[in-house]
Amino acid sequence: MPGFLKVLFRNLLEGPSTDPFPLVPETFTPDRLRGKVVIDENLCMGCGICSYYCVAGAINITRREDSHTITVWHNACCRCAACRQFCPVHAISLIPDWHSAHPEEEKYNVIEQKTIKYEPCSVCGKMMRPVPEAILKKLYVNNDDVDLAHVRSLCPSCRQLEDARRSAGLPAAETKKAVE
Amino acid sequence: MALDDLLKKNSVRSPWLFRINAGSCNGCDVELATTALIPRYDVERLGCRYCGSPRHADIVLITGPLTTRIRDQVLRVWNEIPEPKVTVAVGICPISGGVFREGYSIDGPIDRYIPVDVNVPGCPPRPQAILEAVALGLKIWKKKLGLEE
Repeated sequence: MPGFLKVLFRNLLEGPSTDPFPLVPETFTPDRLRGKVVIDENLCMGCGICSYYCVAGAINITRREDSHTITVWHNACCRCAACRQFCPVHAISLIPDWHSAHPEEEKYNVIEQKTIKYEPCSVCGKMMRPVPEAILKKLYVNNDDVDLAHVRSLCPSCRQLEDARRSAGLPAAETKKAVE
Repeated sequence: MALDDLLKKNSVRSPWLFRINAGSCNGCDVELATTALIPRYDVERLGCRYCGSPRHADIVLITGPLTTRIRDQVLRVWNEIPEPKVTVAVGICPISGGVFREGYSIDGPIDRYIPVDVNVPGCPPRPQAILEAVALGLKIWKKKLGLEE
């Protein structure tokens, strides 16, 4: 049997190999495709390592007294995932969403923007980013007696003092609410 | 006259595509070739086909960050395309400059010189995303022709 007949019958059985995408909404997408950047505002600490490593300069972090805003402009992002690679708290990830075509009017609106509010330290009152619970659980994995909610409300220097007090067997520092 | 209008409104339009490489790394050009040439993504289903001359084109796809060396040639070729035309910026380079932004040899982004209609970011964009952009460009083109609201 000539080879082309085999191909012919196979094509008749399997139908066209064309993906019917723009005419029907469904299409195939690989699971690990690097599409849009998304930021988890519960984890982002605003350290800025992502904007340091961003090849295209697509990430901007604006720091304020009581918050920071992290912005990713999808029109400059080259989907290299260096931010995901270097983020120490895994707050940045890339989802396989490749639907990126948009009209020119929306050019500067295709952004991923998250604002993270700061909270005052319960001992000294300084504004600080509370450590995410997931990270605290990792840090204090061997210290079952530590009250994580209390540690979370402390700024880094007060937390250091608190840890020193605990190792020395001294009572914890008085919080502002308790003083009032 | 009425028959003429009826024919104009109901005839199927087939925009021809033209590619301009404004200093691209060839990544987006490969994706454009893929979108057109392999049966899987087949852009010809939308009535589009690539043409060799800018004078026959309706939708122009621009890749690359517009280097200073090629700027004048790109503008010359773009001006040869008859109106109404739809300009599609393919990849992050023509849209924002991408990884080459603010380089000494870069004169982009391309909308400093050319009015862009559709952007499709990606490095390079997926063939399906380019198909989506061409479909969006088709809509804008029909609007420019006065066939659709």
